[in-house]
Amino acid sequence: MTDPDTLQELITRLRQASSSEELLLATRQLASCGVTGAAPLLVEVLGFNNPGAAVAAVDGLIALGQEAVPPLLQLDPENYGARAWAVRALAGIGDVRGLDLLVDALGTDVAASVRRAAARGLGNLRLEELAADRRREVQDCCLQALLAATSDGEWVVRYAVAVGLEGLGQDLAPSSEALARVRQGLVALSEAAEANPPVVVLRARLAQLRLPLP
Amino acid sequence: MVGWLSMAAPQHEQAGAPISEAEALARLRQSDDPSQQYYAAWWLGRMRCQHPDAVPLLIEALRQRRPRDPGAGVEENAVARNAARALGKLGGPARQAIAELLKVLEDPDDGLREAAARALGELRAEQAVEPICRRLASGPDGAGAPQPGTPRLMEPCEALLEALGEIGCASGSTTHVLGVVEPYVHHERPLIRSAAARTLLRLSGDARWGDLLVALLDHPQLQVRRAALMDLGAAGWRPALEPIRRTLAENSLKLIALKGLVEHGCGEPGEEALLACMDALL
Repeated sequence: MTDPDTLQELITRLRQASSSEELLLATRQLASCGVTGAAPLLVEVLGFNNPGAAVAAVDGLIALGQEAVPPLLQLDPENYGARAWAVRALAGIGDVRGLDLLVDALGTDVAASVRRAAARGLGNLRLEELAADRRREVQDCCLQALLAATSDGEWVVRYAVAVGLEGLGQDLAPSSEALARVRQGLVALSEAAEANPPVVVLRARLAQLRLPLP
Repeated sequence: MVGWLSMAAPQHEQAGAPISEAEALARLRQSDDPSQQYYAAWWLGRMRCQHPDAVPLLIEALRQRRPRDPGAGVEENAVARNAARALGKLGGPARQAIAELLKVLEDPDDGLREAAARALGELRAEQAVEPICRRLASGPDGAGAPQPGTPRLMEPCEALLEALGEIGCASGSTTHVLGVVEPYVHHERPLIRSAAARTLLRLSGDARWGDLLVALLDHPQLQVRRAALMDLGAAGWRPALEPIRRTLAENSLKLIALKGLVEHGCGEPGEEALLACMDALL
């Protein structure tokens, strides 16, 4: 469905929303219609400080995929709330143009919820269309960021790092050095320690089992 | 790059406070400035300090409590409250504080009783079961009645109920404890009903109480849905997987609840299904 009238109508409805319920409803409609051209407005919704609408907008942006990436990357870095949602959207889309933002979010964001989304996203990038050299470069970048985050202070981030390492490992050659480093990261996460809860240990062990066999 | 090698020593991550252990102990040892003690007590708990002086100093801070003077700034009771909370986090070595915490459980200050109840729960202090039951025995219309002019109840019921679930029961006393807790599933406040159901579920494993908590996941107030999530997690009630996934609340809280299902629960749905659901919420 790419009818410009429909898009215009949905945009008008969203712009004129006068309560948070109306905004939520209008965002859901715009997010679920899959209309090309909806992305910039959905990105705008991320900054409205309305969590329900932001969740719907993130779903819509992920469904739009690549088209949503440029407006997401243009977000003002100072707009902290919107950026946190943008990290989730980029993590779900898996477009390699989001790499720098995801690496930065995992390494520096103060909110564990943003770091955990970034970690998942770094294991979820779509690399199949990249040239072999560039692919290795991106994989190395993801790997470094994820390994650094195996010592994150929050269990939920370390859990997401295990998930991210598993995702990254799926695309690596069985005998590669990179896969060996993925394994080392997962071994560290699967060590039982007082500060490392059983759920992280379990998830890291499961990830180890799912990696390509050497 | 810090990397995975540094994983073994995470104690100082996100310290929140640039003070050393020695400094924290010194601040707690002095008694001229209660606000310094207040912070130091919090710090020792947050860092799970294992220094041999920590527990004796925290017990000393507990003894600073006094009849309440709402006009005072950082009053001694605030120090005692933080000391109780810290003791709850220090595990085995803090068990020598149980006798003093049991005295605090009888303090006229209900905020202190609340902190003591939670600490006794965390320390799995079986000696506390009887005194806690005595505090709750008058039921929702007694211990659970509102304190006139405040949002608080006569007793810190939520903390008392949850502590009973944490401690568990020596065989033989379960029926008695269940009898004390059960009337609270009819309390007018949903958060108290949730706390009671959590404890009954942990102590009895009876599906009725799991169903009660699952029903609270549909409550119109977000605060109640959040509490039900935490309570299902604490009880490890795995049949709640799908309702947890669907309820309207932050993914962060759903993840904490599901962690509880993985770590404290058993049976179906199994771990792989639980972990798959967690993955999708990240």
